[in-house]
Amino acid sequence: MKTNYTFLLPVLVLVTMFSACDKPLPDPLDLADNDFELTGATKYIIAATPVGTSGIADYLLTAADLDQGKITTRGNGMEQEGSYRYYVSNKNRFFSLLYGQGNPGAVTSYKLDATGKLSKLTNFQTETMQVLAPAKDDIFTIKVPRSGNEFATMFRINARKYQIVGEQQANIVKLAGNGERAHFTCAVQTGDKIFIPYMSIKGEPRGGDTFGTKYPDSTWVAVYSYPELRFEKTIRDNRTSFIGNYFVNGMTVTDEGDIYAFSPAAATNNGKAVSTKPSAIVRINKGTTEFDRSYFFNVQQAAGGHHISGQTYVGKGLFILEMYPQPNSLDGEGKKFAVADVVNKTFKWVTGVPDNITSTTPNNYSPKDGKKAYIGITTASEGSYVYVFDAEIAVAKKGLQVEGGTITAINALNY
Amino acid sequence: MQIKKILLLTVLCIYGILTYAQNRSSSLSGHLKSSSGTSIAAATVKLQNQAYKLVSDEKGEYRFPSLKPGNYVVHISAMGFKPQKQEVRINEGEDARLNFTLTESAEQMETVTVIGRTPIQEINQQAFNVSSIDAKKLHNSTLDIASALDRVSGVRVRVAGGLGSQMELSLNGFTGRQVKFFIDGVPMDNFGSSFQLSNIPINLAQRVEVYKGVVPVWLGSDALGGAINIVTDNNLKSYVDASYSYGSFNTHRTFFNAGYTSESGFKFQLNAFQNYSDNDYKVTTSTADLFTGQYYPNQKFKRFNDTYHNETIIAGAGVVNKSYADQLMIGLTMGQNYKEVQTGIRMASVFGKWFREGNIIMPTLKYAKKDLFVKGLDLRVNGNFNLGTEKNIDTVYRRYNWLGQFREYAGAGSERERSLYKYRNNNGLATANLSYVLNEHHSFSLNNVLNTFNRKGHDELDPTKAIYEQPFISNKNILGLGYKYNASEKWNTSLFVKHFSQLNKFSIAYNPSGLWGDVAYQNQKTDYSKLGYGIATTYFLKPNLQIKASYEKSFRLPETDELFGDIENLEGNIGLKPEHSYNYNAGLSFQTHINKIHRFSFDGSVLYRDAKDFIRPSLNQNQTKRTMGNLASVTNLGLEGEIRYSFKQLFTAGINATYQNLRNDTRFEENMVMESPLYRDRIPNMPFLYGNADASLFFKNVGQKGNTLTLGYNVLYVHDYYLSWPSQGERADKYDIPRQWQQDVNAVYTLGNGKYNIGLECKNITDNRIYDNFSLQKPGRAFYAKIRYFISKNR
Repeated sequence: MKTNYTFLLPVLVLVTMFSACDKPLPDPLDLADNDFELTGATKYIIAATPVGTSGIADYLLTAADLDQGKITTRGNGMEQEGSYRYYVSNKNRFFSLLYGQGNPGAVTSYKLDATGKLSKLTNFQTETMQVLAPAKDDIFTIKVPRSGNEFATMFRINARKYQIVGEQQANIVKLAGNGERAHFTCAVQTGDKIFIPYMSIKGEPRGGDTFGTKYPDSTWVAVYSYPELRFEKTIRDNRTSFIGNYFVNGMTVTDEGDIYAFSPAAATNNGKAVSTKPSAIVRINKGTTEFDRSYFFNVQQAAGGHHISGQTYVGKGLFILEMYPQPNSLDGEGKKFAVADVVNKTFKWVTGVPDNITSTTPNNYSPKDGKKAYIGITTASEGSYVYVFDAEIAVAKKGLQVEGGTITAINALNY
Repeated sequence: MQIKKILLLTVLCIYGILTYAQNRSSSLSGHLKSSSGTSIAAATVKLQNQAYKLVSDEKGEYRFPSLKPGNYVVHISAMGFKPQKQEVRINEGEDARLNFTLTESAEQMETVTVIGRTPIQEINQQAFNVSSIDAKKLHNSTLDIASALDRVSGVRVRVAGGLGSQMELSLNGFTGRQVKFFIDGVPMDNFGSSFQLSNIPINLAQRVEVYKGVVPVWLGSDALGGAINIVTDNNLKSYVDASYSYGSFNTHRTFFNAGYTSESGFKFQLNAFQNYSDNDYKVTTSTADLFTGQYYPNQKFKRFNDTYHNETIIAGAGVVNKSYADQLMIGLTMGQNYKEVQTGIRMASVFGKWFREGNIIMPTLKYAKKDLFVKGLDLRVNGNFNLGTEKNIDTVYRRYNWLGQFREYAGAGSERERSLYKYRNNNGLATANLSYVLNEHHSFSLNNVLNTFNRKGHDELDPTKAIYEQPFISNKNILGLGYKYNASEKWNTSLFVKHFSQLNKFSIAYNPSGLWGDVAYQNQKTDYSKLGYGIATTYFLKPNLQIKASYEKSFRLPETDELFGDIENLEGNIGLKPEHSYNYNAGLSFQTHINKIHRFSFDGSVLYRDAKDFIRPSLNQNQTKRTMGNLASVTNLGLEGEIRYSFKQLFTAGINATYQNLRNDTRFEENMVMESPLYRDRIPNMPFLYGNADASLFFKNVGQKGNTLTLGYNVLYVHDYYLSWPSQGERADKYDIPRQWQQDVNAVYTLGNGKYNIGLECKNITDNRIYDNFSLQKPGRAFYAKIRYFISKNR
């Protein structure tokens, strides 16, 4: 009896052991990043977060057409690691950056394969960033500390080598020169320069009014050489407030090569909006490093008191502006949209946009044909749609439906 | 303040008892044995016309400590034996002894306890679904309590890494703090980092009781899905238990436990233990070039900032078996721990210098008295207060990668959040339990547990930082009233009502300007008062076939860590609401044997659960910490089963499996009129199918007569599961925790009738990759050896 069982045990053990070994992990992805001849077709990459989820990253969906149809995150789309991401594309590659405050994060790069399928290229690590922008062959990012450390770090990440190729420190307290901190909001590269607007903030931890400032009525843009990242100068203005906002892009180069800068006039101090200047558009002409003193577009006046909150360039000098919902206020729910011709300084409200908006997409797409822009809008009653804006007639209509998700970004790649 | 009041009250109570019990009382004790001479444990000893009964201990001893002089009739009944009764006269001041020899009965089943389960019938006869691990069987192994629990059906222990890392338990789909831990019936909620399940050696426990589903009132707490009670009390008169183990990753563990009880009733206990490990096991992950950011995936790296050690002493002194107290013990728990932090909640964030320290200085008071004022009225009081401090040290401005390389930056920075934060949680705990046995059919119990928490701390680097000046206060009280109806030996039912209350004071950071990142604070108060109730019943269809069923409506109040954070990898969420749930449970257990040679036990249970404001973890917005959140509605249908077999005293084997069907029942998200895309989706990042199998062979008289050699094997299986919602995204691209097999083997050699023991163990013998919690990898193959010396005397 006994020998019977003692014999069985090792057999059982051996059988289980062999069946229960881990298989070796697959070899690291080969970086098959060959360029193939493009067919001229475009695919749109829509990042969407399923409604009701928290603490997870967006799913990356692809669509051939933004004007109509329906896509869903159910059983569809690429899952991403982490919980909060920002997106940028350059050199026909799409980048998803993990936002990690003081922690390093992984960036994942994607391309479309010859059949138009989104495929993962590689992961690499960067520091967290508050500014990201395409610049020449690079993705340009800046990590901006709000307390303690006085140095912001700028990174150049090559968009085809998928690694950091340049790094530069900038003393933001010295740059502000007013006892506060220069907090970069966005960046635009043109020619051999990169223009980086900033807001002046008090920073942590004094009293908790981190983003408050005693200087609400000034505009600053730091100018660096590119790609060397040598500091050249700061250009200033006092007709409006700072350009852009925290994580909000407020600068665009138009077809003519001029830079248009958008100020929401959203400076605060101790929790109150304190800017006495209007929300407006100013200009830096091509080849210069000064504001054009002869150009000023008082959008707040044209909009009956509404402040600018975001902008999407449509081409031919036309912009779709996202506007704060209430006149002369930075509060309230439900954004509004307008078309602005920045060259001719005209402003027109867009019709066809729903009035019960719960969220809008900050990172949108336009083919820059002077006509169309695609902006994600979510309402409680109908869910999320890509709205197709026609800048020529200032009308928006429903396009692609994104079922079950909130749209966080719309990008395009070619194949 | 409340603690002071309670202590004062306790002192007054004791004083009252002292003056009340001046007369010298008598006692009755004795020994029970079978006709073949073996001691009979777990026999019921009753005094006729008296309210209460006893159960004989493992040595076959029983004792009624304080009796009035007079004539008594003693009734003895035990499974597998014919009942007996005998008259006895007890004179004043006499310590009478009455021994019994019981004859085996043919009709009744003999106890067919399968090796590995405690034979203590009192536990198994409860209407609650409980399994009990005989911890003494594991005293020669190198396990800690957490890994012993991992072998119980329905239980999954999830740890964040090596020795000393944070652990979390899931029990039938209940996870984290839904399951409460107790040590001798006292909640372990607030013991600090120096005294946790993952650093308590198994030798401290005599047995570990695992309550699944409804928890009895005397374990007063807001457990939602079950409770683990570690029973350390032993009834040995004097003993010494000392052991040392050494193993992979430079792991040293020492344990010493000694106790002495004098004839006059003076009792002294001393527990001391120490754990040390470099935890420098290898993990498979990606590392980045610190300059270019380029990733090198799927490489093996040694952990390099993960040293952990703790040292703890638990001392207690007092008296037992006095007229004023069956037990009155004053104790002190003192300990310290040091822990380096290697990663965030994902292996992508790696740290090289960050560490934590903590200590525990905890006075304790234990008082127990049977027959207080009247026969059948028993009182138990426990109190403790943790004066320990915790410290979080992150001051080195460096960025590390997995190779241990770093870049150092100028200025005052850190690896994550610059901190020299030192804080004290000021945890206090008081429990009181009053039970009254009216007669053999009716008994009542009243239980109250009070918890206090008031975190205070400062950071010398930043003494004025506003966040540290905010209140972090939480007071929790749970009052339970239970009634037990013992219809017969075959059927008993428990009913209970519990009142849960919690008062939290804190401040919320709000955004005064509407601009991102702007912070100001506003004091807040939340006050919860909830009523729960339940019923549990059991019926013995046959002496060896038991069915159990229970139902409860229960609440789980947020823990202080979940509200205020643990200053490591758990971010606080002060908005966390209490979770409540309707739990239905049914179970069946059956034991049988063939010719008393082959013994079998079968256990199975099914549970259904309907939970609101389900508390579950997710990543925070920086994705390097976890945070707890409420999910509006969740249902769970769970099944579990276990089969055990043993052959004589030579071989034992068992297998168990658990399946959980946890589903999101939230149809509409807040403010949405469209059906949620996650409606009826499986709750992600929770194992839902897992099981365990084990086998042991016992060789008697190996080498020398009386020496035993035990060979053991254990395998753990966890089915793969998704980290994120299963319905979302393309299947091929989803992140998951792959299926896991972990196999351990061990050998224990016992010499000198259990006096000396040598244990050898190999964990994860196939060196598989084992993960928990957001893919944090656990150790691969590891070897441990342990020597133990144990000596005891009962008389």
